[in-house]
Amino acid sequence: MSQTSSHDSLFTAWLEDYRGIIVKVTRSFAHSPADAAELEQELQLQLWISLKSYGGEAKPSTWIYRVCLNTALTWRRSMARREKHLDPTADVALVAAESVSPADRAGEREMLEKLYAAIQALPDFDRALVLLSLDELPYREIAEITGLTENHVGVALTRARKRLAALLKGVTDEL
Amino acid sequence: MNFNDYESVWKRQDLPVGAGANLSALKETFETKRRKSAATLLARDLLEGLAGVLVSGVFAYVWWHIGREGWPMVFAIALVLGVSGFFARERLRVHRTRLGAEAPLLAKVEADIAELRHQRRLLLNVWSWYLLPLAAAIAIVCFTLARILMIQAPPGFFTALREHPAALLWIVLYFVVVVPLCFWGVWAMNRRAVRKQLDPRIAELEKLHADLLSTD
Repeated sequence: MSQTSSHDSLFTAWLEDYRGIIVKVTRSFAHSPADAAELEQELQLQLWISLKSYGGEAKPSTWIYRVCLNTALTWRRSMARREKHLDPTADVALVAAESVSPADRAGEREMLEKLYAAIQALPDFDRALVLLSLDELPYREIAEITGLTENHVGVALTRARKRLAALLKGVTDEL
Repeated sequence: MNFNDYESVWKRQDLPVGAGANLSALKETFETKRRKSAATLLARDLLEGLAGVLVSGVFAYVWWHIGREGWPMVFAIALVLGVSGFFARERLRVHRTRLGAEAPLLAKVEADIAELRHQRRLLLNVWSWYLLPLAAAIAIVCFTLARILMIQAPPGFFTALREHPAALLWIVLYFVVVVPLCFWGVWAMNRRAVRKQLDPRIAELEKLHADLLSTD
């Protein structure tokens, strides 16, 4: 098998297995469906490019999270430069709801929208941490992704979750 | 409704299944971006590198034309090629030290900050590695040509110059006003780029870095 086709097939296999990571990162960082489409394409593109340097030194999920979060953080900064007056909660419900549940799970869908809205209102790094924590990654893997020590991950995560809980409380109070 | 409810909803969220990416479309996008980026880089390299080589070529031609007396031109050529070489070295350095998107978040942010600070230093000191060598090269060429003119001026040249003092005035004005104005423009543009582009980006990244390392 040529190098190109093995690269392509590994990429396709990764997308089959880990597309959820890309979708969750997209929903957490993009504010509108148009932005989400742009970011998702950028994440896939960066993943495809970075795959060439993947040598099995990290778990695929760790690698994918690193690429996606680095790309999303960079994308967010360039977006903020392009649109100085970005409304942090604009269209978030639309992004979250777009491919979510059927009508009989409307309550859950609404909660998920609120959760994504709260995640989007967090500072960039907290957003990344909360995402990793909600996906139940162990501290060791979060440390590998972020480059922090495990102890530091614990501290930062506690702070991020407190912020998220406060934001959700505010959201819940509005319900 | 408590936090655990949200966590349960998170776990149960519907996520699209399947690859969801059109590989050929993705490759096409990548190729388009790569071609565009390669064209931009080529244009920049040509502008920075070849411009220096071309100017050096012109200086070498002038030197060859005026003969042995034009020997100081070698310093002007060396200075211009030195500036081009500096650009090339910078390009290689960026290529060598750039971290990919697969790096840990902290390392990537730190590398990006270091790179932006390096660029900031370069732009703020543009006079030392760009403007000063070019000004020195121009001065060397001018003095060499003036000296040659004094020795080898065609008969009647200075008489003609005395009869048309406006021509002399324009030449003096060009070197005393236009050239320094262009140099000032380059310097001011670089200062503005630091203020408007680099400083805000460094501040953003430093804030992210501080968030990463904060224990509050």
